[in-house]
Amino acid sequence: MSRFAGSIETEGKIPTVGASGVNVVNFKDYMLKYSFGMPIRYVAFPFPIAGQPRSVHKEYVEGKDLLSEAPMMQAIIDGLTKPLTDEELKTGMPSEGAPEPRFLKADTEDNLRRLFKEREWTDYNTIILPVEEKVTEMLEGTGHKPDEVVCESGSRKMTVEKAAIYAVMVGAKPEYFPTILAICSRASSFGNSTSSMANMIVVNGPVRKELGMNSGTDALGPYNEANAVLGRVFTIAGKIMGDLRLNAGAYSTLGSNLQYNNICFAENEEALPEGWEPLHVQLGFKSTDNVVSIGIGWSYISSVGEAQISHPPHMMFRDYMRSLAGMSATIVMDPTVAGLLKDAHGFNTKEELSKYLSENVGVAAGTYWGNGVNTTAFKPMALQGREPYATWMNTPPEELIKPFTNARGIRVVVAGGGIQTTWFVTDFQFPGGVLIDKWR
Amino acid sequence: MRKKGTWASFLFVLFVLISIGLMACDTGNVDTTENSVEPMITVMNPALSTSMVERIPLAPRTDTIEGKTIYLVDLQWGGPEAAYSVFEEMKAWFSRNMPSVNVEIRRSSGGPFGDDPELRKEIIAQNAAGVVVGIGG
Repeated sequence: MSRFAGSIETEGKIPTVGASGVNVVNFKDYMLKYSFGMPIRYVAFPFPIAGQPRSVHKEYVEGKDLLSEAPMMQAIIDGLTKPLTDEELKTGMPSEGAPEPRFLKADTEDNLRRLFKEREWTDYNTIILPVEEKVTEMLEGTGHKPDEVVCESGSRKMTVEKAAIYAVMVGAKPEYFPTILAICSRASSFGNSTSSMANMIVVNGPVRKELGMNSGTDALGPYNEANAVLGRVFTIAGKIMGDLRLNAGAYSTLGSNLQYNNICFAENEEALPEGWEPLHVQLGFKSTDNVVSIGIGWSYISSVGEAQISHPPHMMFRDYMRSLAGMSATIVMDPTVAGLLKDAHGFNTKEELSKYLSENVGVAAGTYWGNGVNTTAFKPMALQGREPYATWMNTPPEELIKPFTNARGIRVVVAGGGIQTTWFVTDFQFPGGVLIDKWR
Repeated sequence: MRKKGTWASFLFVLFVLISIGLMACDTGNVDTTENSVEPMITVMNPALSTSMVERIPLAPRTDTIEGKTIYLVDLQWGGPEAAYSVFEEMKAWFSRNMPSVNVEIRRSSGGPFGDDPELRKEIIAQNAAGVVVGIGG
């Protein structure tokens, strides 16, 4: 919104006013300082706006601007006509505060722990304070220089040394560090959306055994040090990378409990049925490569009980996937389920299963468009006549559409110990993987 | 004599109370010796520096929008129907209260995350007196 308004202000020298819901309007100050630089004049409407009847929208227009407390329409007219203030006429680079020092001021352990919490550098679970000796020891886990940039977003740069600090904080061993660097290289994809997004981290390749990761019984549970530590470091790195502080950059309305560990586990490659390739191979890597893949999504649904012959797992996946937004899916299944799907139902590859689901998951058009993410992202395309969205927009609400048009957007990962024929259907999508060996 | 006995009892009680107090100190965590002062430690800073960006001034404002054209641009946040009627209500307000203002409502084809260069071109070509863009949420 700021960018569209800014283009009009700079290119056309035309006054603009940004209209925002009160729920996100405070982020304008952060945008001004660190991202955009133009002091767009805003008005704030009550929230929610979408989903309200027209009578409520009329009340909003005839009510007050929640920023200035002036009548809304007067605030808009003022925004377009009132002379600019000195603040709004400022140009050039603002005077910077001092950059962050490499070390914090010496203090007692209790005070430092308090500081880490106050600055929101933790997940509020206990951390190990990053004294230099431990950070140096961690840095021995890689051949990369401490000042090399691992992840960059705007002016914020995470170096190898900063990643080592985060690794110490979560209690990692130096041998985890290359994998941690690979994870940190994607720290800017840590879920942060009003819609409460989360992440899924899957590790593939021989490194799983090297680090002692769990891909078998309880792979997704709190029963393995490497799974726990690698998942947690993404939270710390993601929060600090994004400067995500409560009500100051972090704005997920419900948040997600999945963000404590980011569903971090290893694929049980040894238990894959013959012909089923591991996730990293599907993403274009060699089977001998060590790869970490970081997905992003929202939802996680369990099958709860045993697979049934009368309505087998692939049909249950199909049914459950109707509850997802419709863009992508990742199914995490026990090896016994994978075995049943291959031996009893003829899915010789993961791709065959993905194709079946792409062709058979039917969602009522009304349900599909009832999802605000679909409507925000794809209805503007539908209005331009772009297919398949234009057809789906004109489909009667109760009629089924098949939204998983891209079979490659449906991923299958095998994990678990063969103790129960259960699985999770999720909507996480994997844009790609990161080579861990690059960070050794 | 009786007075002496009372005084002795008071001293005895005082002694017991002080003893209990000292015992509590001995068994508690409070150590008043110099060795117990919590040591100062130095740790590395996890924070990343953020540079501020260059300031860009706003366009000059005109005195009034009376008799001029303004645009209301719907970025379709939440979908094309989410806020469109808010803009329609704004237009209705202008019709009632400032009828000389010509109000044009447009949807940005790029949606909330994209751009609409054609629309920007139209707004500039029409020499609009102002644009309301939204509604983020």
